[in-house]
Amino acid sequence: MHRTVPSLPLAPSMKVKLINAGFQVASDLTDMRPLQLCKEAGISQEEAVEVLQVLRDDGQPHQQRAATESLTALDLLHQEQALGSIVTFCSALDDALGGGVPVGKTTEICGSPGVGKTQLCMQLAVDVQIPVCFGGLGGKALYIDTEGSFLVQRVADMAEAAVQHCTLLAEDTEQRQALEELTVEKILSNLFLVRCHDYVELLAEVYLLPDFLSEHPEVRLVVIDSIAFPFRHDFEDLSQRTRLLNGLAQQLIQLATQHSLAVVLTNQMTTRVSNGQSKLVPALGESWGHAATQRLILHWEGLRRLASLYKSPSQMEATIQYQITVQGFRDAPDEPRTTPDSSAVSSPSGNHSKRPRMEDLS
Amino acid sequence: MEWEQLDLNPRIIAAVKKANFRSAKEILCVSGPDLQRLTRLSKTDVQRVHCSVAAVVRKSKPVTALQLIRGECPVLEAGHRLSFACPVLDGLMRGGLPIRGITELAGESAAGKTQFCLQLCLSVQYPQENGGLNSGAVYICTEDSFPIKRLRQLITQQPQLRPDLPPALIRSRRFSDNIYIEHAVDLEALQACVSQRVPVLLKRGLVRLLVVDSVAALFRSEFQADEAVQRSRHLLAFSNILHHLSHEYGAPVVCVNQVTDVVDGPNPGRCDYGLVGSKVLPALGIAWANQVMVRLMLRRLAGQVQSDSRSSAPRKLEVVFAPHLPRASCLCGVWEEGVRGIPDDNSDLQPQGSS
Repeated sequence: MHRTVPSLPLAPSMKVKLINAGFQVASDLTDMRPLQLCKEAGISQEEAVEVLQVLRDDGQPHQQRAATESLTALDLLHQEQALGSIVTFCSALDDALGGGVPVGKTTEICGSPGVGKTQLCMQLAVDVQIPVCFGGLGGKALYIDTEGSFLVQRVADMAEAAVQHCTLLAEDTEQRQALEELTVEKILSNLFLVRCHDYVELLAEVYLLPDFLSEHPEVRLVVIDSIAFPFRHDFEDLSQRTRLLNGLAQQLIQLATQHSLAVVLTNQMTTRVSNGQSKLVPALGESWGHAATQRLILHWEGLRRLASLYKSPSQMEATIQYQITVQGFRDAPDEPRTTPDSSAVSSPSGNHSKRPRMEDLS
Repeated sequence: MEWEQLDLNPRIIAAVKKANFRSAKEILCVSGPDLQRLTRLSKTDVQRVHCSVAAVVRKSKPVTALQLIRGECPVLEAGHRLSFACPVLDGLMRGGLPIRGITELAGESAAGKTQFCLQLCLSVQYPQENGGLNSGAVYICTEDSFPIKRLRQLITQQPQLRPDLPPALIRSRRFSDNIYIEHAVDLEALQACVSQRVPVLLKRGLVRLLVVDSVAALFRSEFQADEAVQRSRHLLAFSNILHHLSHEYGAPVVCVNQVTDVVDGPNPGRCDYGLVGSKVLPALGIAWANQVMVRLMLRRLAGQVQSDSRSSAPRKLEVVFAPHLPRASCLCGVWEEGVRGIPDDNSDLQPQGSS
């Protein structure tokens, strides 16, 4: 603890009094009692209590850091594997992501309107609740909706389909017991929704997240759908927008690691013209590209919906096909079946859609 | 900024005031370390400032989806929709138009978009249990003048369109009195209309449906091809106002859009929304598409459909995207009493010829 008194976050007059009383370094003050300090520095008892409080608040993180031992990479690997991931019910996408959307990291989903970003987010909010004995996380979800596109009717459909899927997979007594509690009502009751109407409300919500997460420690997924919508208009000062977005990204990754949750953000696409050619690129600018740990881009190719893993520290770039059915986010019908030794949830009976694809009806 | 509302030590509030912060927005837009530097407060004090200001800004606490589906939070989830006044069309839309959010209806000219809008202006005036919102509508015209004759015809034919409703109920509605017609000749007038006059009508509860016919006309005519950035900016500002009005007053917003021709093949710089083989796409590009929650396309098909010895050109109403709807479509015809969907099983009403 080598902090000098002048560097402490105190009022200058206070610091002058402390220095005049002979306190040069923060560690000189740590063992003082308030009455002692009050007499020696000539400050009131209230002020002495405050000075010691400030010292304790600022000192703790340093002390904590010194107290934790350094971790080996093997420890970190075990920790990461223990965190788990949230399946998407599209086995091709789960394989490309290395098991699913990872917990402890931020994942960004970009795509044009209508390609399936909100559908994937809703699916994840349901899938995070799959019981542990089925290979899920058994956790709750918080959905921060900035566009107003969260329609609970659709989530109820997906919840129903997920329950049916698990019913078909249940093999042993433990799973059957877990199934009895897994109802559509239970799934809906574990999904929290907040609607933010502009970026100030969104910033406020993220500041209130730590309190919410301590009240609900079982939350394993936070979705912000979408982070682009409130930030894409009435910002004359783009540098302020970049600063706010960076701040948000930092807060979210901190929350993701501290509370062991997966943070999923959706982003819109915009047109960029370069060399006379126009391309669709993720919105919010170049610097935002560095914000999330993983980036998934959903796009159309003719009639097919494709998902490309664009940026990931641990997985290879890959493009897979998916579809949106009545039941939710699923594999495209002609994808190869998964191997038998994958997790129970994304088993070979993954695609239960016996009903015709909606796209064929039009 | 109501400082008394904040749950903070007066010493902290004094420090924040001294650093010249006047609004919650300013405080929330400053990061923790910056706030520490500007107010000379400690890290935990600054965290407390952010948390209590955020608590004041937050409009409502998180609710569960179960509460939503049970109808306990009507502000977030209305639990009902605005009916199209036709069971087939309502079936396609799982009940009708969502109460909050922008619904776009795109199509070529003479496809029937205005017919749909007029029908909605009448449907909104019925009570909630009959699929309406018990209120009037604002109709903003930017292209042609308002089709008043057609509206009168639709009003007299309401009993034919809604045989399920008691005639006394239909007679009791004063339809023309509750439709407010605005003409906007340029963007400035349009902006003034939606930011000044429409909010007054919404606040007084006189209207709960906003129709803009059409969005494309003014935005396409007032900007040159190379002014895409300015056009985007105006478009976003406009749609932002619509979005806020829709969510604050629980009023569906219907925007009619034109279409552009697709001259080249698939272009990676342009999003096709999976509409492969379509010769037209909704206008105004991806900037507008990002603001729309439900996108519908109306296409006029060749051939004829018959109904009681009357005939009409068939139309195909397709859901291009919506958060709660699959990509489906249905056929419909435009009759004297309005737009009626054609159920799939009615084979003698199938059109001859294809799109």
